[in-house]
Amino acid sequence: MNRLIQLVRTADWTGWLGAAIVLVMLGAAIAAPLIAPYDPVAINIEHRLTAPDATYWLGTDQAGRDVLSRVIYGARASLAVGIGAVIIGALIGVSAGLFAAYKGGLGDQITMRIVDAIASIPLLVWAIAIVGVLGVGPVAIGSLQLPNEVKIVTLIGCLFSPVFARVTYAVAQRIVSADYVKARYLQGASHWQIVTGDVLPNCLSPIIVQATLLVAIGIVIEASISFVGLGVQPPQPSWGTMLSDARNAIYSGEWWLPVFPGLAISVTVIGFNLLGDAVRDLFDPRHEARTLVA
Amino acid sequence: MFRLLAGRFFSSLGTLFFVGLVLFALTRAGPGSPARIVLGADATSAQITQFEQANGLDRPFLEQYVTWLADVLRGDFGKSFVTGRDVAGEIVDALPVTLSIVLFAFAIALVFGVGIGIWAALRLGGPMASVTRLGVVLGLSIPAFWLGIVLIRFIAVDLRWLPPGGYAPLSSGLMTHLQTIAMPAISLAVYYIAVLARMTQASLQEALRGDYVRTARAMGLSSPRIVVYALLNALPPVINLAALSFGYMFGWALIIEQVFNIPGLSRALLNAISQRDFLLLQGIVFLFTAIFVLANLGADLVNRVLDPRQRAAA
Repeated sequence: MNRLIQLVRTADWTGWLGAAIVLVMLGAAIAAPLIAPYDPVAINIEHRLTAPDATYWLGTDQAGRDVLSRVIYGARASLAVGIGAVIIGALIGVSAGLFAAYKGGLGDQITMRIVDAIASIPLLVWAIAIVGVLGVGPVAIGSLQLPNEVKIVTLIGCLFSPVFARVTYAVAQRIVSADYVKARYLQGASHWQIVTGDVLPNCLSPIIVQATLLVAIGIVIEASISFVGLGVQPPQPSWGTMLSDARNAIYSGEWWLPVFPGLAISVTVIGFNLLGDAVRDLFDPRHEARTLVA
Repeated sequence: MFRLLAGRFFSSLGTLFFVGLVLFALTRAGPGSPARIVLGADATSAQITQFEQANGLDRPFLEQYVTWLADVLRGDFGKSFVTGRDVAGEIVDALPVTLSIVLFAFAIALVFGVGIGIWAALRLGGPMASVTRLGVVLGLSIPAFWLGIVLIRFIAVDLRWLPPGGYAPLSSGLMTHLQTIAMPAISLAVYYIAVLARMTQASLQEALRGDYVRTARAMGLSSPRIVVYALLNALPPVINLAALSFGYMFGWALIIEQVFNIPGLSRALLNAISQRDFLLLQGIVFLFTAIFVLANLGADLVNRVLDPRQRAAA
C-alpha cells in the first residue's frame, strides 16, 4: 500500500499516460459489445469503402464493415493473447525459477538448463511454424471448442517463460541464502510457507516489470501471426488481419484501412511500454529485470 | 582459455540438439502422417506402409531424428516428400534474399542504435534527453510490418522514390539491389535501433559513473580517451543484445518479406506450411534456430576476448 501511494506521488506523466492508455484499451476490450456502434462482422456492400464520416467515424472496409467497431473488437484478441501469454509464461517461469533456486543441486542444474534451451528458441519463427503445422482450426477439448488463439497463447507463453524463470531465479537465489530465511526454517516454517511467504514476495517487483513489458511484445507477435493468416481467423476482427486485408488499399488510396488498426497496435504497445518503464523505475531501481528484445 | 571456449561451444551444440528434437517432435504432432499427406486420403494401408518403409518413417523416432540431424550437418536437408525437390536447394535459393535484408537491417541498427545511445549518454539531461526517450519508446512500439506498409504508401506510392516491393539480386547491380531492400531493411531495423540505443545509453552512463573514470579525470586524461575506456567497459551487454537482435531479426524478416512481396525464406516457409512439407519446414526452422544459437555463442566469445578478467580466469 505504501508503494502504491509512492507510485501515485512519484511516477512522471509518461507513466500516467501509459496507465491511461492501458486502461482505455482494457475498457474497450471488455465493453466492446456496449461501445461498438455496429456489428463488427456485419457485411454491408452498399456502404463499402466509405471514407470516415459522421456515420462511420473510421470508415468502412471492402465488405462494408465498420472499421471503428472492428478496431474495438480487435482489442479483445490482442489483449487476450498478450495478457494470456504473459500469465502462462509467468506461471511456468516463476515456478521453475523458485524451484531451481530453492531446491539447488541437480534439480537446479536441470531446470535452468531447460530454461536456457527454451531461451535459445527464436520466438516468432517457431510460433509461425508450429501454428502452421498444427493448423489454424479450433482446438477441441471434449465438447469444448476453443479458438485457434489458444494455441498461440500457449506457445508464446511457453516461449516467454525463460524471462520469468531467470529474474525469479536471480532474486530468489539471494533470498534463499539470507539469514532470516534460515531463521524462519528453524522456527519451523514449512518449505511452502517460506517459498510463498518469504521468497516469492521479494521476486515480485522484477516479475511485474517484465510482465508489463512482455504484454507489449505479445501484442505485436499476435498481430504479426494474424497478419500472415495463422492467427485470429476471419471474419473475426483482429488488428493483424485488418492490416493484412488493407494491403491492397495501400495502392488504391483508402488510407483509413491501414492507418487505424496500425495506430491501435502502436498506441496500445506504447501504453504498455510507458507503464512498464514507469513501474521499472519505481519497483526495480537496480534494474534486476533484463532488457527485453524479441 | 581454449577449454572454456570448447565447453561453451559444445553446450551450444547440446542445446541445438535438444531444441531440434523438440522441433522434430512438434512437426510430427500435426494432423495426418507424412505418408497420408503425400499419398492422399484414399491410399491403402499397404501403400502407406510401403511409403513409410521407403522413406525410413517406420524407424524409431529418435533414430529418424539423429539420421536427419546427421544429414543436415553434412548439408543434406533431405528431399521433399511433396515436391520431390532438394530441401537444401530450396533453402540455398531463398536464403541470400532473407540474409541480405537482415544483414542490411543489422548494419543500420548497429550504427544508429549504438551511435544514438552513445550520443544520448554523453548529453545527459537537457531537453534532448526526453526527445531521445520518446523516440526510443516510439521505436519499440511501432510494429515493423505496419511501418513497412506506411513506408510503401509514402515513399513508393506517393513520392515514387523506391519500388513498392519485389526483389532484385545483387547481380542486377548494387543500386537496384539496394533500392529493393532499403525499405524492408529500414522497417526491420527501427525496433532494434531503439533497443540497442537504450541499452548502449544505460550501459555507458553506468560505466561513466565508475571510479576509474573519476580517477582518469583527476589524472587529467582527455575526455575522448575517457569515453573510449568507458565505452569498452560498457560494450559487453550491448554485444549480447546485438547478437540476440540478429537472431530475432530473421523472424521479423519473414513478416516484412510478406509486406514487400519478397521471394525469400518467408515464401518458402509459408509454402511449406500450406503444402504440409515437413522436411522443408524443419529445415528452415532449424536453420533459423542454429543462426540464433550461434549468434549468441559468438557474442559470448567476443566478450570473453574483450574482457581481460574473463581471459585471465580462463
